[in-house]
Amino acid sequence: MARLIRTEKEIEGRYEEVWIVVEEDALDQWPAGPLEIVGKPAPRMDGYERARGEAVYTADLELPGMLHTAVLRSPHPHARVRSIDLSKALAAPGVHAAIGPNDIPQLVDECCYQGHAVAAVCADTYATARAALSLIEIDWDVREPLLDPNEAVARRSFLSDPRVRERGDADKGLAAADVIVEGEFRTQVVLHNSMETHQAVVQWFGDGIDVYISTQAIWAVRDRVAEQLGVAADKVRVVCNYMGGGFGSKNGPDDYTFIAAELAKRTGRPVKCALTRREENLAVGNRNATIQRLTVGAKSDGTLTALLGEYVNAVGWGGWMAPTDGPMHSLYACANVRSTLYGAKLNLPPMKAFRAPGFVEGTFGLESLLDELAAKLGIDPLELRRINHADHDAEDDRPFSSKNLLECYRRAEPHWERRHEVRARSTETVKRGVGMASQVWYGGGGPPSYAWVRVGSDGRANVVTAMQDIGTGTRTAMAMIAAEELGIPLDHVTVSLGDSSRGPHATMSAGSSTTPSVGPAVRAAAADARRQIEEIAEQRGTPDAPLAEVVALLEDAQILGTGARGPNPTGMQVLTFGVQVAEVAVDIETGEIWVERVAAIHDVGRVINPLGARSQIEGGIIQGIGHTLSEERLHDPKTGTILTTTLDAYRLPTIADVPEIVSELVDEPDTHLTNLGSKGLGEPPIVPTAAAIANAIRDATGADVRSLPISREEMLRALREAESRKSGEQRGAPAAV
Amino acid sequence: MVELVVNGGRYELDAPVGTSLAEALRERIGLTGTKLACGEGHCGACTVLVDGKPALSCITLAHRLDGREVTTIEGLRDHPMVAAFVRADALQCGFCTPGQIVSAVALVEASPEPGADEIRHRMAGNICRCGTYPKIEEAIRTWQG
Amino acid sequence: MKLNLGNQGNSVELRRPSSLADADGGLALAGGTEVIPLLRSGILRADTLVDVRGVIPRGISGTEIGGGATLAELEVDPQIPDVLREACRLAASPQLRNMGTLAGNLLQSTRCWYWRLKWPCRLHGGDECFAHDGEHREHAIFANDFCASAHPSDVAAALLALDATVKTTSRTFPIGELYRVPTEDDRNITTLGEGELILSVEVPECDASIYLKAMDRKRWSFPIVGVAAVRRGSDTRVALAGVAPVPWLHDGGDPTPLPRNAYKVEILDALVRRATAAL
Repeated sequence: MARLIRTEKEIEGRYEEVWIVVEEDALDQWPAGPLEIVGKPAPRMDGYERARGEAVYTADLELPGMLHTAVLRSPHPHARVRSIDLSKALAAPGVHAAIGPNDIPQLVDECCYQGHAVAAVCADTYATARAALSLIEIDWDVREPLLDPNEAVARRSFLSDPRVRERGDADKGLAAADVIVEGEFRTQVVLHNSMETHQAVVQWFGDGIDVYISTQAIWAVRDRVAEQLGVAADKVRVVCNYMGGGFGSKNGPDDYTFIAAELAKRTGRPVKCALTRREENLAVGNRNATIQRLTVGAKSDGTLTALLGEYVNAVGWGGWMAPTDGPMHSLYACANVRSTLYGAKLNLPPMKAFRAPGFVEGTFGLESLLDELAAKLGIDPLELRRINHADHDAEDDRPFSSKNLLECYRRAEPHWERRHEVRARSTETVKRGVGMASQVWYGGGGPPSYAWVRVGSDGRANVVTAMQDIGTGTRTAMAMIAAEELGIPLDHVTVSLGDSSRGPHATMSAGSSTTPSVGPAVRAAAADARRQIEEIAEQRGTPDAPLAEVVALLEDAQILGTGARGPNPTGMQVLTFGVQVAEVAVDIETGEIWVERVAAIHDVGRVINPLGARSQIEGGIIQGIGHTLSEERLHDPKTGTILTTTLDAYRLPTIADVPEIVSELVDEPDTHLTNLGSKGLGEPPIVPTAAAIANAIRDATGADVRSLPISREEMLRALREAESRKSGEQRGAPAAV
Repeated sequence: MVELVVNGGRYELDAPVGTSLAEALRERIGLTGTKLACGEGHCGACTVLVDGKPALSCITLAHRLDGREVTTIEGLRDHPMVAAFVRADALQCGFCTPGQIVSAVALVEASPEPGADEIRHRMAGNICRCGTYPKIEEAIRTWQG
Repeated sequence: MKLNLGNQGNSVELRRPSSLADADGGLALAGGTEVIPLLRSGILRADTLVDVRGVIPRGISGTEIGGGATLAELEVDPQIPDVLREACRLAASPQLRNMGTLAGNLLQSTRCWYWRLKWPCRLHGGDECFAHDGEHREHAIFANDFCASAHPSDVAAALLALDATVKTTSRTFPIGELYRVPTEDDRNITTLGEGELILSVEVPECDASIYLKAMDRKRWSFPIVGVAAVRRGSDTRVALAGVAPVPWLHDGGDPTPLPRNAYKVEILDALVRRATAAL
């Protein structure tokens, strides 16, 4: 039965209080451990069409009469368009329409970052459209850009008000400390670089509109398109059957969708607007840079007495303030915590969510600082973390719905024990070491999400839910859940998704929420269908007959089940946990770093598909390695122009950069969370990787690396610093005696 | 006019000089299994075989391929490497996967049982942002089933 | 994402000459891995492209290597010196090594982002080196006063260390003379004349050789520092990639790093020490 409740909704650490209608979750959870299908490895069900190149991505879509768009983007980080003349571009052969500043809100004449969209042209081919861009006459008034985050804070150029969070009394806590460690940590701008660039194909039908788009959030696209274009939401059909990666950058329609919509309206033709790789690396988001000034105080027994942080998120011109302060408030039991978070507004491209935004950066700072503290206290880093384990959510004084971090630590022990043997393999020039870091993140999902299940007389089931599979394998997970509940083979289940007009609402694929949000709805729908089938069996007097036998009677009749995601447990904090142990080798003469092995143990409740789960862990760690060692968006320090928009200059990891990865999941259902007990796994694995590697480097070399990426330059700088500290200590030693 | 031999079939296209092989395949012949992700020769998503060797179709001019054999993912759909990738879960979003498989097929045709170092050396030109690399390595090690 | 040449709109002619005598009169195209992207981004312009693949020698005979040999062919060739084979093996990506030729590799352009993004820098004929006061962590530490771009060719460093001889359509000369540091009066980094094509490279034998490369990824990266070392008898000759606007003969001259690339000197010293020790 539907019920109206007021609840907290969380997406990637952003909470809002909302009134929502939920349906009670009437099903008991399955018993823990692998079942018939759920909990056993299954290859992804759309693997063949993707691998064989049959899957049609938005990039592959070619509609009859479709036109192609090129977008004129500001080459300047800060400039005003004094005048613009589109007439020559419009007159060029093959060009069908051109739009400029203020024709739609996404095209502007006050450009505040490089890549800000100014004008757009559509033509028979992309080449024609792009050539026409050079015919646009534009007079720029170039202005001074604001690029330095510290200067932005001093000038109070903020995206939103600074956020102060405090529990206990951090000053008193610091005064009570036996040992205090401080450090300034920096993280760089990282670019999502989904392999399929952002793009959409838009076509009008009367007063309705079809949007084919590479997106993580078809419902968010639907609602925002409807709102801006003044179209009834159900007349906006958003389709995304396959998409080539998002990682947080494809949670909305963006400029290209509205550009295509306007051009499609003007031309009466379907219009594609696809970004180039270079545009992709300017205009559709990034993981923002951060500066973190951190202080930790502890008793000599390791008990934390205070954690303090001043965080500057260099968000660029737009976006939001990702919770870089989050790990400091949620990872440890420390009674006294105070943080200030600034969102520095700069003339640089706007940030967007990127796989555990804020927590990746904040964990690097906090967990590095913890290891510096462990060294100072002479306490084993793993032991220090156990000492400060949070048994309940200290921030809100709430119990966790489930938490198996101590179990993760226990399972990490054999990996952690390897450090003696690993260190022993060091040579004169290549030093080896082991480091660890803990992970905390959201991932509980929440309502609303719905699913339908249709069972036919052939004993097959079709799951319909308008979610999207962004490559994480959630399509397969949904099929597994339905097959398990119905008691039919996995290959008897198909899943229809990715179409807002052909299924009920489902969550966006963000915040590690798809499986924990949609999965329970799918199970509820399958259970609803199964109940009906059991009723028919009962009426036939064969209550124990198998499903196939019962539905064989149906002919063209179908059994339709519906299901909804129930509410999250009241008064409980739902989080995911884990730990990673990294082994590295560092060439202390050349600064070269090899990540040789990463062991990852995560606690995300019940695991639906262990094969897909391992892939998520590996993928997160590998993205984390890029973040830690090789990836960095650079801009010219004077002009703010981005220098690394191509993939020769912006260095994503290749297969040659990958370590041995050992992954393990605790696989204990969260007994308080829905009918599944599952949490999400998309984001957790990237959270601790940078800190674990940095701590391993410190273990190997004694050098404090406090800035990402740990390039050769940073590694050699840290080694020099450690060397001079050591020689300083040696010189100082006699005086201290 | 340009004449291409793709997956054993002959195609005559009226395309201007400068047309890339990727563009010819995707937009003229309709073989969209070959993906474009960077368009500048940096990522490997557009990899096809030219005379059996992996090449980047985005920076290859179609007009230079007279008399050469082009093989795309569509020509390798029944190769055991495809099943090996699916079995090992060596794909996530799948956008780079056709290019990965094309490179992997060329690798095992030349060296049926490659070691880890050889796989890493020969596959380093195919970027996968989802990070399926460990599974790709597994797929190539186990491609014969 | 459709791809056309930069001068789209004009018609481009592609000539495929059957003899060297007909190969003149346009922009030469061998592997195309550098020329095609540069045409698209408008850094190079051409009305006529000349496909020289059919007319440039590509075989190896004795110590002479055809300019049309691909890096992929060379990386597995047991006849050539270790330094050259390793430089080919560690260059670019597998696909680029399949496509790219020896001669083309020697003539590749810098990876300087200012140059690639068409800033009006000195190498493009302008009057400023933007890297000097800008982002220059990957830039030159030698001969960087006028232009701080770094030459990325691993292969050129190997051949310079080997003291190879280059044969072109008009002359034969030591590879060191192929390159020139750009100056106010002449912004070119090679001495090739109009229409002059590299035909082959003569690689003299050596007693031992090695190539060591520092890069940002384990594969598919341009050199931060590449060190090629060749020993003949008691003489060791060292040449470097990624440290100067041209492949650089390491003759003991002091580097002049910029504020943010002094770390390259440390790497250079370590790799030179290791390379010479290994010989």
